[in-house]
Amino acid sequence: MQITKWTHVRRHSLAMAFALLGCVSLSSFAQTLKPLDSDREPDRIEWWQVSEKLGALPKAKPGVKVGAVAKTLTNEYWRLLGDGYKKAGDKAGVTVDLQAAQSEGDQLGQLAIAENMLSKGYSVLLVSPQSDANLQPAVDAAAKAKVPVVNVNDAVIPLAEHYIGNVQRDNGVRAARWFVQNKPAGGKIAVIEGMAGVYAAVQRTEGFKATLGKESTKFKVVASVPGNWDRQLSYDTATNILQQNPDLVGFYCNNDTMALGVVEAVKAAGKLAQVTVIGTDGIGDAYKSILAGELTGTIDSFPVLTGEVALDVSLRLLAGQKVPRVVATPQALITKQNYSRYKGDEAAQRKALIEDAKSGAK
Amino acid sequence: MTNVKLRDLPVRDMGTLFGLVLIFATFAFVSPIFMESRNLVNILQQSSINACIAIGMTLIIISGGIDLSVGPVAALSAVISASMLAAGVPPWIGMLAGLAVGISCGVVNGVLIAYGGLQPFIVTLGTLSIYRALALIYTGGNPVLNIPSEFRSWFGNSLAGLPMPVIIVCIVSALAWVLLRKTPIGEYLLAVGGNEEAARIAGVPVALTKVTAYAISGGLASLAAMIVVARLGAAEPILGNLWELEAIAAAAIGGASLLGGKGGIVGTLLGAIILGAMRNGLTLLNVQAFYQLLATGLVILLAMLVDRLTRGRA
Repeated sequence: MQITKWTHVRRHSLAMAFALLGCVSLSSFAQTLKPLDSDREPDRIEWWQVSEKLGALPKAKPGVKVGAVAKTLTNEYWRLLGDGYKKAGDKAGVTVDLQAAQSEGDQLGQLAIAENMLSKGYSVLLVSPQSDANLQPAVDAAAKAKVPVVNVNDAVIPLAEHYIGNVQRDNGVRAARWFVQNKPAGGKIAVIEGMAGVYAAVQRTEGFKATLGKESTKFKVVASVPGNWDRQLSYDTATNILQQNPDLVGFYCNNDTMALGVVEAVKAAGKLAQVTVIGTDGIGDAYKSILAGELTGTIDSFPVLTGEVALDVSLRLLAGQKVPRVVATPQALITKQNYSRYKGDEAAQRKALIEDAKSGAK
Repeated sequence: MTNVKLRDLPVRDMGTLFGLVLIFATFAFVSPIFMESRNLVNILQQSSINACIAIGMTLIIISGGIDLSVGPVAALSAVISASMLAAGVPPWIGMLAGLAVGISCGVVNGVLIAYGGLQPFIVTLGTLSIYRALALIYTGGNPVLNIPSEFRSWFGNSLAGLPMPVIIVCIVSALAWVLLRKTPIGEYLLAVGGNEEAARIAGVPVALTKVTAYAISGGLASLAAMIVVARLGAAEPILGNLWELEAIAAAAIGGASLLGGKGGIVGTLLGAIILGAMRNGLTLLNVQAFYQLLATGLVILLAMLVDRLTRGRA
């Protein structure tokens, strides 16, 4: 990738000179890269294949500093991802600094943080952008400063050179398949979406509806409304939906915070036995609820593991290894039944996830 | 009455400037790269969007109003203008269309307030939802991509080391300063905000003055949107979330009174830079987001206390 980029520059050196003359942003550098479609990118590798194919992690040079820009710290998911960075960072003996925007919608604030971290001089930047576009100027600036940028999860920067994460659409696909397999009688389903217009919310919802429609004729999505990642709003929305559809069989929620609000509404309506609630993320409170027999399940995307993989890959990039453009991280729908298989110690979790991947389980 | 206020404004601006210098000095002391020119340009660039919005907000606050709808106005004009650009319309037409959308949104706000007799807070709270909804409905929630590079380069260029957004905001500020200090409109704004009844009796076109202020604010919101679209290469319907609060904060730090009749462009600019410098410096020091929020809140309150002291009895 590096090589094609530089031939491009030579070939168009005249054009580039003009561009530089105008001090135009250097985004044109990266334009030989095809816009990233993390679902279908052929240059990809599964997370557990990284050390199989590339060997042991080379020892990091002294003074390597990793900068990470998370989406926000108000959601446990992003704090757990940060824990993963730190855990792998400690193991490799490198410093990791984690910064985050103040809220889920603070796009320019996140851009400012990324730019500020760049000027502080980190060796590599791990970013989880709030939208496809909001960190692009920082990515351009990093390319200019020759600082590798790794896009970790959620929104996909179209010109990202390295992407690590799960496929958002697949999250909805898994939830839909669970309903098809476990509720063969079908029935009315409601979707509680994340913030309207946010990438992850759009993709998850779309994957859920498309799969449910394709793989079964017995389900009907009677409502699909934003809960804005908010517990209270989702509680109220779910209460209204249940009033209107007393025979509802299930909710699919774009994250666990909302799912927990929905569970409370289902409980208040006395319908825990009738209504299934599937959440997303796998935060601590969600598991407490699952083990208590309230929340049915959550699609865990293993944030700590993802963080560890991301840090491992970024150190490999710094050591000059060539890593495929997309490193896919795992997801699994976890219920009370299969809880012990995934949530034991870390080694057992890794083993279970690798088994899943090899058997092609969805 | 107006004369007294005009005289003590520079004192207040000196206070804000002093605060700014203090913040810069502190950060420069603890972070060696804070004062590097590249970082200072960063701060200006990052403050420019908020400054652009805050200038419009200041004019409205001076007239005794408030505009909570600036973020959604920016989003709506961004997605409409970006769809036109992506469809191949000449960039300057796309940009003018975006500005026209912003000004129209502002005029709607102003008419409802000035002629409908509704409270500014309530009107713009309503249009905050409406404009956001329109942006989401128009795009189906998806970002508009494929912004032509010609349009992007207009705002991506630098002049004498200063990024275009900074230069645009300088020009806008100069125009707003002239408007406020050297034209009748400025006097009308101060008069309406100071005492609406007295202004009406003195023959000030109160309704028209208000509509003008909201139209300018809408126009500046869409100008900020154009800058963001050009920088990011995409227009998102969720753009501009909480911009109104940041702009109000900048104006308040700069000495604008939410009761109307007080405020200035220089103060607001300094306020925006203070907020930008805080964010920049705290990030360089690796201070976590929650504490950054805390620090921002404290600075706003501190500025208000200083305001109280320098002005004496309000």
